[in-house]
Amino acid sequence: MKLEVKNITKSFGDKEVLKGISFSAEGGKALGLLGRNGAGKTTTIRILMDVFHGDGGEILLDGKPFEPRKVQIGYLPEERGLYPKREILEQMVYLARLRGLSKSQAEKNARKWLDRLQVDADGKKLLETLSKGNQQKVQLASTLVCNPDMVILDEPFSGLDPVNSQILQEVVKELIAEGKIVLFSSHQMSYVEEFCQEIVIINHGEIVLQGNLEAVKREFGENQLVVGGVGLSGEDMERLIKEQFAEMVEITGRDREDVIVRLLPGITRTELFRRLGNVQGLEVEHFETYKPSLNDIFVAKVGEER
Amino acid sequence: MEFELLSYMKNKGFVITSVLIMLLAGGLTFLPRVIDMSDILGIEAESMETEEVETKKAEGAGTDRAETENAAEGVKTEDAGDGEDVSSDMLRLGLVDEKGYLPDKQELEKFFEDAEFVYLDSEKELKEAVEQDKADAGFLVVDDISYRYYVMNKEMSDDNQMRFEQLLSEVHKQRYCEANGIDYESFVAQYEAPVQCEETVLGKDASNNFWYCYVLVIGIFMLIVLYGVTIATSITTEKSNRSMEVLITSINAEYLLFGKVFAGVVAVIVQVSLILGAALAGYAVNRSYWGGVLDPLLDIPGEVLAAFAVFGVGGFVFYAFLYGAMGALVSKTEDMSKVTGPLQMVIMLVYVGSLLQLENPDGVMMKIFSYLPVSSYSAMFVRIGMGKVEMWEVLLSGGILLVSIFAAGWLAAKIYRMGTLRYGNPVKLSRALKELKM
Repeated sequence: MKLEVKNITKSFGDKEVLKGISFSAEGGKALGLLGRNGAGKTTTIRILMDVFHGDGGEILLDGKPFEPRKVQIGYLPEERGLYPKREILEQMVYLARLRGLSKSQAEKNARKWLDRLQVDADGKKLLETLSKGNQQKVQLASTLVCNPDMVILDEPFSGLDPVNSQILQEVVKELIAEGKIVLFSSHQMSYVEEFCQEIVIINHGEIVLQGNLEAVKREFGENQLVVGGVGLSGEDMERLIKEQFAEMVEITGRDREDVIVRLLPGITRTELFRRLGNVQGLEVEHFETYKPSLNDIFVAKVGEER
Repeated sequence: MEFELLSYMKNKGFVITSVLIMLLAGGLTFLPRVIDMSDILGIEAESMETEEVETKKAEGAGTDRAETENAAEGVKTEDAGDGEDVSSDMLRLGLVDEKGYLPDKQELEKFFEDAEFVYLDSEKELKEAVEQDKADAGFLVVDDISYRYYVMNKEMSDDNQMRFEQLLSEVHKQRYCEANGIDYESFVAQYEAPVQCEETVLGKDASNNFWYCYVLVIGIFMLIVLYGVTIATSITTEKSNRSMEVLITSINAEYLLFGKVFAGVVAVIVQVSLILGAALAGYAVNRSYWGGVLDPLLDIPGEVLAAFAVFGVGGFVFYAFLYGAMGALVSKTEDMSKVTGPLQMVIMLVYVGSLLQLENPDGVMMKIFSYLPVSSYSAMFVRIGMGKVEMWEVLLSGGILLVSIFAAGWLAAKIYRMGTLRYGNPVKLSRALKELKM
């Protein structure tokens, strides 16, 4: 299965919130939609789910127009909630039946997920009687109760405690292994990095970076090195590089006591290493390839407000 | 719909209230079997017993007339005994009749069976007696057509004056007859000669139909308001507990709204059928014990019940959709009254209008009301019950209501869908309609 989002635009009044968003997601891979608050992630997902219509663009599933109510989708919206005063199993069965499952199948799936997530297995308790953590699990179980082919999770980790976050990660990994399309939005990079193959970073309604996470990291870290000297603070090291290496590198950042630098065109690592060795009183502690975290990439791309 | 219906059925308040009212309605009809209600019902215990026996005869349980009479006598005797027991509750009435207009004490007590008279000599004594609680009230006879009444604190149920005026009027007639040489007995016989009448109502008897129409108008009004608010609240709750977005991305909004409305309709039909059914069945079994007193209330003709069912359910569905739409305009149940206010106002106006015009079912206002979808639910069945109405009028009004229900359903589904993600302040109806046009 392949989901393609092509050039989606959306304005609310005079404010243009999506300025042509395009990406694609495939079964068996997770796609992370990243961005700061208000970047347009939830709007993109809501248009995808037909909560409201986009002003332009199209969404295709395997080349045909995408109709979210005709595909089994496990959708966990940003604004989420269930019925506090109803029994757990009853409401899970209701949600599954709204998605077209038979009563017996809905019950079977609900029990399976309650069991898998270790919540009240007979489902007879009222939701409000569960702990907050268990209510979160029921919410997740309700998302998956229709045995979805596609899972869309909007800020799934927000509000989850660490244990439930871990459970969610495991479940998402299982869904990916089962070949399902997994699409989710987040601004918590560490979770995304765990299992995301593809990322799309949105800022102010535009895509500022997208592609395979490993490739993005490689590209972002290309020609960059982490340099540090024994006994030198980050500031000392930065000053030294500015004074003596300005024609060889540019400083791109700091990593605690080390400095991240990018080689200028025509300069090799060996040349830089030799020059560092010749500096009086400098004993090189770190000299290695810079491997950016997703957080670094994210901050670099959307950290500065325009 | 099943899920919504379950929310009614699992609501303990709903179930307990329904069962209690049903038992109460059914149980009350058995009351005259258990206690003597002849005073309250305004019928003779004798006639009740006789009717009971007649019923039994009809059922095949043979009882001869002698036994019936004995039974009736027995009841009468008991009644008399009861009357003596309550002598301590007798009224004490002061009386000043200086010129002796009034008859002796025995005659007086025909008009005041529950009172004993204390004769006093002057107005001053009378006032003092009343003030010092030696008498509950007092009369001062000026002449045979005027008197003064003294009472400390007048009660709502005080009928002393009415009875005293009857007495004085009798005295006046007697005195007039005496003065003019007329035989009082023959005068009274002619003056109060009973007029015989054989009534045949060829159409509808509004006086008979009045009470159940009255009750049904109130009933449908209460159902619409109670259930309408329940439906609106269930929609607002889904917004406030944030389950709305999952719901509308799972299935079309129309189905969700229709599910809620029809669950409400089914719940109403079940509840009303049970309560009304219990009352009607109970009364049918115990009608003889009631002496037919509740006929105006519970002996409802089939056509009126059918009209009530069709127009009642139709009006209910119409308003349920509108309440649903109102529920979608707010995101907190506390804000509900802000948006349902105008709707409640319309319902109230229709309710008050229908009740005020209940005695004039063929008036212009009722005619107009019977065609408007906001009011035909009560006006049309009142006209069917009490007024003149042609079949084409009923069909036309029903047709208008049906079309209006579809229109209300369509509009409500649109507003419901639009209001889905509107959190925060209530959306004004005018704004919602404006946005729908766009």
